Amino acid sequence: MKTLFGLAFATLYMSVPLVAETPEFAQRKLEIIDAYAHYPGPGDAGYGQIAARLWKHENPEWCSRRLEELLAAGPTGDMFWMFPVTAIAHLDQGQLTPSARQALKRAWKTYMPYRGDTENHFLLYYSTLYLMSQYWPNDGPETWYTGKSSAANLEEARQWIENWVKLTTARGQGEYDSPHYMGVYLIPMSYLAAWAKNPAMKKRAQMMLEYLIADYAPENLEGLYVGAHARVYEDQLVERWKGVSSDFGWLWFGVGRRLPMPDNYVLYYALASGFEPPEILKKIGTDRTNAYTHLERKRTRNRWRFNDDLHGPVYKTTYVRKEYAVGSDQGGILQPIQEHSWDVTWSVPDPRGVQNTFFTVQPFSSIHELQTYFVFNPDPAIEGVVKSKKTYDSPDKLLGGSPYESIFQDRDTVIALYNIPAGTRFPGINGFFSKDLGETREDPSGWIFMKAGDSTYIACKPLRPYEWKPIAGGGRRLFSPYPTNGVVVQVAAQSEYPDLAAFGRAILALPLETKVEPTPRVRFRSLRGRVLEFEYGEVPSVDGKHVDYANWPLFGGPFLEAAVDSEKLTMKYGELRRELDFRSLTVKETGR
Amino acid sequence: MKFATLGVALLAQTAIAADPTLYALMAVTKEYVVGAKLPPSGLFRHEPTGWQHLNYNHPFLFGLDYDRSDPATLYLAAGNGLFRVARKAPEWTQLTGSDVTELRDVSVDPRTGAIYFGHSHGIRVSTDRGSTWRELSAGLHRKYTEAIRADRVNSGVLLVGGEEGIFRSTDSGAKWKLAGAAGIQITRIEQSPRDGCQWLATTYEGGLYGSTDCGKSFEATGRVGLGRNLYDVAFDPTNPARIAVAGWGPGVALSEDGGKTWQSRNSGLPAPEVTAVAFDPAHPGRIYAAVHQEALFVSEDLGKTWSHSGLDGSSVARLKFVPEGGSKQ
Repeated sequence: MKTLFGLAFATLYMSVPLVAETPEFAQRKLEIIDAYAHYPGPGDAGYGQIAARLWKHENPEWCSRRLEELLAAGPTGDMFWMFPVTAIAHLDQGQLTPSARQALKRAWKTYMPYRGDTENHFLLYYSTLYLMSQYWPNDGPETWYTGKSSAANLEEARQWIENWVKLTTARGQGEYDSPHYMGVYLIPMSYLAAWAKNPAMKKRAQMMLEYLIADYAPENLEGLYVGAHARVYEDQLVERWKGVSSDFGWLWFGVGRRLPMPDNYVLYYALASGFEPPEILKKIGTDRTNAYTHLERKRTRNRWRFNDDLHGPVYKTTYVRKEYAVGSDQGGILQPIQEHSWDVTWSVPDPRGVQNTFFTVQPFSSIHELQTYFVFNPDPAIEGVVKSKKTYDSPDKLLGGSPYESIFQDRDTVIALYNIPAGTRFPGINGFFSKDLGETREDPSGWIFMKAGDSTYIACKPLRPYEWKPIAGGGRRLFSPYPTNGVVVQVAAQSEYPDLAAFGRAILALPLETKVEPTPRVRFRSLRGRVLEFEYGEVPSVDGKHVDYANWPLFGGPFLEAAVDSEKLTMKYGELRRELDFRSLTVKETGR
Repeated sequence: MKFATLGVALLAQTAIAADPTLYALMAVTKEYVVGAKLPPSGLFRHEPTGWQHLNYNHPFLFGLDYDRSDPATLYLAAGNGLFRVARKAPEWTQLTGSDVTELRDVSVDPRTGAIYFGHSHGIRVSTDRGSTWRELSAGLHRKYTEAIRADRVNSGVLLVGGEEGIFRSTDSGAKWKLAGAAGIQITRIEQSPRDGCQWLATTYEGGLYGSTDCGKSFEATGRVGLGRNLYDVAFDPTNPARIAVAGWGPGVALSEDGGKTWQSRNSGLPAPEVTAVAFDPAHPGRIYAAVHQEALFVSEDLGKTWSHSGLDGSSVARLKFVPEGGSKQ
């Protein structure tokens, strides 16, 4: 019995795949790890190279020496330091010298990583603190920067992680669907799934890996994370491929193109559990045979001021077909600074260097927004934000939510309305018209018809006059300076019409009523035959029936199903069902 | 604490004999975001040889107080929790867990030693030196708490400031009553070291608010800081009529008549963007002012002239004089 327990323990602790990997997945994973282990690029080797070589059991003397050099130079990076060194500690497996191990241990006393102020910061911080407290289980408070014992650190971390899983599976992620930050949710779960000794924690993390992948799978178009995002960087916003999501889509599903040098998020994911998604998730992630509408409910970020509730709901709609995807939230300030509320993304054979997206925004920045979500002093606040988010306070920006934007989507139709009060810092709206749009016609009716790649047609009807401004690097920005404003957008596949002119004629035949005063209002019969009515600030309706936000599901659509507060998720594909139940920590699969 | 001991402690506190030491909570954040390399930042102590950085590099320390019965122990309100710092070692112990974040201010009750702090979603108290905590914000509509002070004279009285004004409790936080500045964001609350019934509070855009009835009610004091953001206020322990405020735009403003009239004291400062101000209790006429991302400045003539006093490039969240020594004073 004792031997069996010891064997089981050793198996849990080693970084081995949770289940047997397919050869294709194993090869892709190895390619990512090799990119770091044998990195020939410029600059000094860092923690990523050490971790990758330890995983491959290559050159342990170099790993020890380099680790000591890096630690002697002084740790920096807060939780972004914690996750590389946690991986190194767990990948050591007898390879590092005692001196290197002691240096690593000392660093957790002499350096105080800051816990941060975002959901991803906290998750990285607590998952790595959990694992390192487990790694040095009997150490007293004098050996930790927290001044707490290993047991106390472990318990604090356990509580936070369990609460996060519960909140996420009940009310959704706060920092949801980020093409970049998705990686820093996957790393902690990959670590805990591989290295947590507590069976419940390990199981919870394994299930959360599936949950996070499921969150991405229906909203990816050949690896590109489509639709509304809590956080995205501007370069990833216009060139969708640049997101970390490209690495994960490629690793998990073999779709799209990975980044030339894979991001270290996917490296550390691979080095720990390196979890390969189950077959049902691969199907959901790749099958675009039939068009579908996918719904999600998420949370806003913690709102410290100016709100009665800490979180508000986010209602997401994403329509996906093989040619394109259309995605949105309801508008408003749901996240500070980096929110992206709606877009059209069209499929292209090779997305590298291609700006295959279209959207509009109201360029909003304010102290009030920052004070809602941050605690820092107002005067230097915007200056502080602009240090790392360069375009935040710029009238020509393309990124960010606005309290004066209200969005409604039905299938591949979007109506975005704007009602901007006097005195707003940047009155007006911006539209992103990519350098990679094909033929574009401005019809006398006011509609703009566009050919998007070889797959998609887009029609956009601005409700007010506009002018064109150049965008550095290519493309045009539609700028309309009116405080009451809006756009009606209809998308279709090129396969549905013989040419752009025919698509235009079909759009012009659709009944459309608009008004902009005193508040913007649209009544439109979409290409899909549905009558959409939407007035700014009011609940929209489809064929006379109001949209039911009160019963918006946590996940809803042909592939995923979860009720708010259920702490469950059902994945669906054909007859196949896979249910994650986080209350009982069970996974049930039926319909094989 | 027994009454006799309490009496001695309070008497000593009002007449701090030994030169107290100036502490600064600062960060060099010009290029810093979470995860980036941070120049030396955190808790600094002013010594004859200059500023000494005490232990950890820390980007977000906001509040500092000490236990009057044990001034060798400091308490720091930080973005990542409440820390107890032994001044001599200095060892840091994080006293809070994952359930609170973005701590903004800390106040140790001089009478009882209870530790109070304000955080992004409420107010907490510990009566066992930080072993356990209790939330006190149930009666507040909006929880965000930027400023907190335990009344050193009236037992059980607390004053807090958040996004909706100044609130007062007479039962150690069980119930709260609006005391003034309704609907205005509060940044700092201070009690006069001479007159326990005199209080001042700084605000965003609303100027300076004052109370002369033991914090029961606060009224706007005049035009100083109106429309701008004030970040700090200080009473001169050596002169009951002298007050200084610090703010963004007003810089340093000084009043010699209890706040009736004000003089700007920014000549010689690099910018009127001042985040913290403090009178030196042991050197009448000496005043310190922290200019945002510039440095700390000191004046020996109440701000008529200034000279550089270190902490280059820093943004200072708090300046505080703390009595020296580990024994009860």
